[in-house]
Amino acid sequence: MSQPIRNAVTLVVDGREVVAPEGTMLVDAAKMGDIEIPVFCYEPKLGPPVGACRMCLVEIEGIPKLQTACSTPVRDGMVVYTQTDQVKEAQNAVVEFLLVNHPLDCPVCDKGGECPLQDIAMGWGPGKSRFTDPKRHYQKPLELSPLIAIDRERCILCYRCVRFSQEISEDEQLVLHERGDRSFVGTFDDRPYIAPFHGNVIELCPVGALTSYSYRFRARPWDIEQAGSICTLCPSQCNVAFTVRDERVMRVLARDNKAVDDGWLCDKGRFGYQMLSGSERITEPMVRAGDGSLSPVSWEEAIRMAADGLRKAGPRAAALAGGGTSNEEGFLAQGLMRDALGSGNLDSSPNAPDPQLLSELARPELAAKVSDLDYAGGILVLGADPLHEMPILDLRIRKAVRRNGTRLLVATERPSALDGGAATDAVRYAPGEAIAFIESLAGALGAEGYEASGRYAKDAAAIADALRAIPDSVIVWGERLWRRPGAVKALHDIARALQMHQRIGTGLLEVPEESNARGLREAGFLPETGPGYRTAAAGKGAVQIRDGLASGDLSALLLLGSDPVRNYPGGETWRRALASTFVVAFALTEDESAKHANIVFPAESHAEKEGVVTHPDGRLQRLRRNVPLPSGVRPTWWALAEIAEALGTNVDYGTPEDVFAALCAEVPFYGDTAYEEIGGRGLRWQERDPGSSWVPQPTGGGDGTGVPAYAPPEGEGLVLGTYKDIWAAEATRRNPSLRFLMPTQRLELSAKDAKTLDLANGDPVTVSADGSRLEARVSVRERMRPGAAFLIEGTETDNANLIATGEPRRITVERRPEPETNGSASGGGGNGRARVVATPMPAEGAR
Amino acid sequence: MAAAPTAKETRILFRNIDEPELASIRTYKELGGYQSIRKAFLEMAPEEVLKELEESGLRGRGGAGFSMGKKASFLPRGDMDKYLCCNADESEPGAFKDRELMQKNPHQLIEGIIIAARAAGANRCFIFIRGEYDLQGDILDQAVEEAYEAGFLGESVLDTGEQVELVVHRGAGAYICGEETALLDSLEGKRGNPRLKPPFPAVQGLYGGPTLINNVETLSNVPHIVGSGADWFKQFGTEQSPGTKVVSVSGDVRKPGNYEVELGIPTRELIEGLAGGTEERAIKCFFPGGSSAPVLTAEEGLDLPYSFEAMQEAGSMLGSGSIIVCDERTSIVQLALRTAKFYHHESCGKCTPCREGTNWTVKMLERMIRGEATPIDLETIASVQKNITGNCLCVLGDSMAAPVGSMVEKFRPEFEEALEKGVPSLNGRNGGARSGAAESKGRRARREAEHLTDAGRSR
Ligand SMILES: Cc1cc2nc3c(=O)[nH]c(=O)nc-3n(C[C@H](O)[C@H](O)[C@H](O)COP(=O)(O)O)c2cc1C
Ligand code: SF4
Ligand code: SF4
Ligand code: SF4
Ligand code: FES
Repeated sequence: MSQPIRNAVTLVVDGREVVAPEGTMLVDAAKMGDIEIPVFCYEPKLGPPVGACRMCLVEIEGIPKLQTACSTPVRDGMVVYTQTDQVKEAQNAVVEFLLVNHPLDCPVCDKGGECPLQDIAMGWGPGKSRFTDPKRHYQKPLELSPLIAIDRERCILCYRCVRFSQEISEDEQLVLHERGDRSFVGTFDDRPYIAPFHGNVIELCPVGALTSYSYRFRARPWDIEQAGSICTLCPSQCNVAFTVRDERVMRVLARDNKAVDDGWLCDKGRFGYQMLSGSERITEPMVRAGDGSLSPVSWEEAIRMAADGLRKAGPRAAALAGGGTSNEEGFLAQGLMRDALGSGNLDSSPNAPDPQLLSELARPELAAKVSDLDYAGGILVLGADPLHEMPILDLRIRKAVRRNGTRLLVATERPSALDGGAATDAVRYAPGEAIAFIESLAGALGAEGYEASGRYAKDAAAIADALRAIPDSVIVWGERLWRRPGAVKALHDIARALQMHQRIGTGLLEVPEESNARGLREAGFLPETGPGYRTAAAGKGAVQIRDGLASGDLSALLLLGSDPVRNYPGGETWRRALASTFVVAFALTEDESAKHANIVFPAESHAEKEGVVTHPDGRLQRLRRNVPLPSGVRPTWWALAEIAEALGTNVDYGTPEDVFAALCAEVPFYGDTAYEEIGGRGLRWQERDPGSSWVPQPTGGGDGTGVPAYAPPEGEGLVLGTYKDIWAAEATRRNPSLRFLMPTQRLELSAKDAKTLDLANGDPVTVSADGSRLEARVSVRERMRPGAAFLIEGTETDNANLIATGEPRRITVERRPEPETNGSASGGGGNGRARVVATPMPAEGAR
Repeated sequence: MAAAPTAKETRILFRNIDEPELASIRTYKELGGYQSIRKAFLEMAPEEVLKELEESGLRGRGGAGFSMGKKASFLPRGDMDKYLCCNADESEPGAFKDRELMQKNPHQLIEGIIIAARAAGANRCFIFIRGEYDLQGDILDQAVEEAYEAGFLGESVLDTGEQVELVVHRGAGAYICGEETALLDSLEGKRGNPRLKPPFPAVQGLYGGPTLINNVETLSNVPHIVGSGADWFKQFGTEQSPGTKVVSVSGDVRKPGNYEVELGIPTRELIEGLAGGTEERAIKCFFPGGSSAPVLTAEEGLDLPYSFEAMQEAGSMLGSGSIIVCDERTSIVQLALRTAKFYHHESCGKCTPCREGTNWTVKMLERMIRGEATPIDLETIASVQKNITGNCLCVLGDSMAAPVGSMVEKFRPEFEEALEKGVPSLNGRNGGARSGAAESKGRRARREAEHLTDAGRSR
């Protein structure tokens, strides 16, 4: 299914001729003619209009009754009036009705000053109310969730929040209780509303009924400033606006970009700003003394010491970049490593992409963009769990299924949030066996060199049939497929077999592990590949860096917001390697890896940085400085340039844009793109010359064939897979209001294996493999493949990376005696406000 | 009171209504039932059935009076699942005709549904019956089972290969679920809120599929039209309101009940003839079409023909065809409050004017009855009704505004009097005790006053 083509129609609104695409709702068409029709319930992001509030009534010639402009599609020749007496009477009436039960809270209401109800009451209301009876009263505010307070008196029952919960995030927790003027918003069973996207309802609410505990009473609209940037806490790279008061970020709002986020944020991005001005933030360069303590030094001193240490290591230095690193920073750092130190040991992920394939996959004609999902005939989610890895994509996929009937197919090792509900077909392969499935799928689709046989032949045949039957599908795939040589090659061949390169609106979309993974690759932050996917001198990737550091072959490490101890497999090995190495770290807080750094530089946050990142679909997006750098912090790009200069390279950049220009000069597909052109909405390089006609050069990398066939790990026991959990992240810990979400370790088992092991949900167990062990609680999951078990990566304690090596391995599970409770047994607790929402009884007409 | 006018019922749907075992398929068949279905399935093409219904001019008996055949013709042709929902939610104060039709003659309805399904091309049918109609629900369950056994329902109706399935679904007790789109949401397992129209159910209804929704009485007419022909049907009633109507008459009349009459007979014949008139008291006003219809005074309404067009012309409506009579003892202010309270209680709350307007109206009327209102309030009551009218998502809001507005307009002096003195409880209607201790009588009267239909009656 492709996007419908819409003809233009001409209509007349208040005497003004307006041309709008067929099917446009009258409200939006009027806007094109600069005529505003007031709305409350209308919000196209939420799907089809519901016509509930009646604020948008207008007169249409030939129709005796007033019509709701939010739900009336324009027709050619339509004549509309929005200013007649009849319309004004209706508008006055609706405003008056809305205020019948609305409290006079404006002076103490957070929404005051940016409130649609205030604005519309002023603009379209009667100016006074004739209502003299007692208003409806509720207990207020109540805790809707540990993050959101609900004031039911202020609610105008526009249904927006409920529609979001039911039809966008599909968590189906919010409902309207009761009916008539007794209606009120709540969760179905009065439990707190806990769901990863629930913060969006705050922004949707047209009144001050839903406010966040973290922003409540902290600012008024007249003392804040708002500017735009990008959230780089995950690869979704949502467009955000930071609300700033007194040079501090007080709130994060969505900055609707259909091409990226559709106007939604996840709660991590929305509430993950407290860390920016938290006391744990590193705000000055520091050096570690022999006893492990850190003490401040001047920037000049720190730069000199860092340069000295790195110089000493020379080609034996290595660098790792985290997802928040901008293209400019990545470019500078790889230059520093390659030119000043002669080291090609660079990486930004524990997976090892094949350079040749990487550039092949970057071909514009194979790429799908986010908005292609909306009208895709089918979506295959392969080896990825969008909810945890790129949350906004989860919403986007649900939207395609719900609104356009897209067929959703899922093939993953772990049950994903998408199957069961939205997904019609789900294939479950064993941890590490993605390659077996993908190769069978390639075979079933007739790709050359593959056979349609093997363990997953039947599943692969079913998916292949589905893909062949659907025109224009998009394959959303996880970066981890790179871990098994050959898997991504097979995926590439599948794309070709499906003729994706010859069709519009179809293609591949990678879900990388880190936010700016794509930008870092494009900037050449890879072992054997320089800027623009050009061949560079050989170097080591992440796994070899780890082993090199551990064995002493490598002797220095530069960390740019990267935390391998926490986030990479083999965390314990990383810890040991870092402890015995000279480490320079740019970090926001003292994370697990920065704890081992000899020199720590304060890093810029995504609210402070100037630079460019690349969205997984190739969109260049600009990070803008929304708040001044905390005193003591200097730009990371500047510090990197200084270090490079101290190392004797001749870099001379005055601004980050200078760095970007230098990067563009080396990346053929960026052309001469300037910051200005990227603007606030971003720019996909594939859609601009010369990127649009870019053809990858042979890089001399392998073609991925001739790799040894996959064999499951030997021995007995369950095969361990690990996964990222959206909340098992540094950001959760560093933001007080999110802390209650931090998961404790759980071992996911199939019902069958749990039965065999005589374990039930919640049972405490010890999980071990080859001497390493951790503690967890059992979680029996549906749709698990028997024989597989899963642990979360990046938890605060008992991190799966302690056991995981990046390869599937067998584990032993033993029941552990129930530990003595000492008050804080579970990971919950959080901000101490996590009590259950009480059911309020409307105290009708307080006498 | 003048001599009772000649009163005559014309029984088509009620033809065998007093037959004791009519609810059983055997008796229904013995009395000629399930013949029309044979004709419709074995002798007629679906288009012919549809044409017959369109030509009959049968208008919906659920409230809006829309042509039944025309509505059926709006359903798209094609292979998809199509639905027919029989609206048996009958919850409007004053209406109790569907109850009797289902309780006593369920097979007439089932036969009508099956034939209408053929005309509309629907294969999946539901009867959405209000939860409180427990007995009637049981009777329908039984009758549907019999119809399946007899081969009138199922994968192959009368071995023609045509599929018609029928499920009886009980509502959970909300008036709003009688509104056709709220009914659909409720049937789908959602909160029973009206949907925005368009899309109309005929195009996108139950589970997004084309859906025909008709009232019990509308569908009960279908076997007769198909059996005897559109021309036969049109002999009855008026040109614009063909056929007969089962009219529920209640309130201050001697013989409340359901009467089937030809549409267009003088209203007086219904009220004073068939229902026996009041107990020698003057009629103050009556609702000609259920509690949603603007009231008519005796002078305005008694001599009007009881037809869709005449009632509309008089500024009211025939609606579901339920007459509630209020005699001279009735306090109009009380009546207005009782009416408003019902709609306030039943408003789904989805749209602003109805949700807040019903609430506001009740509050003002309550004050008026307590004698605490001002002349401004009277203006405001009238203006609020106007502000509700035509501005709501469904017509429930208008259903309060129309009758209440009509009361304020037609009985303004009575409201003005209330501004001065308030309205004594029950307006003194429980004065003449007839039986039992005074105290228990008072309690009973209060209980009865909870229901508009009973409030007008002092037994
Ligand atoms: C608030 C409300 C309640 C209604 N209740 C009923 C009902 O109980 N029974 C019914 O047949 N129609 C009811 N209707 C009318 C239906 O919406 C619809 O018009 C009718 O079922 C169509 O059937 P008909 O064409 O056979 O009359 C109601 C309408 C509204 C607005
Ligand atoms: S809480 Fe806000 S968004 Fe939700 S229904 Fe009320 S006014 Fe609308
Ligand atoms: S989805 Fe990712 S980019 Fe978007 S707000 Fe959340 S963490 Fe930030
Ligand atoms: S008019 Fe009343 S019942 Fe109908 S949708 Fe609006 S609030 Fe609900
Ligand atoms: S905006 Fe149109 S009805 Fe609410």
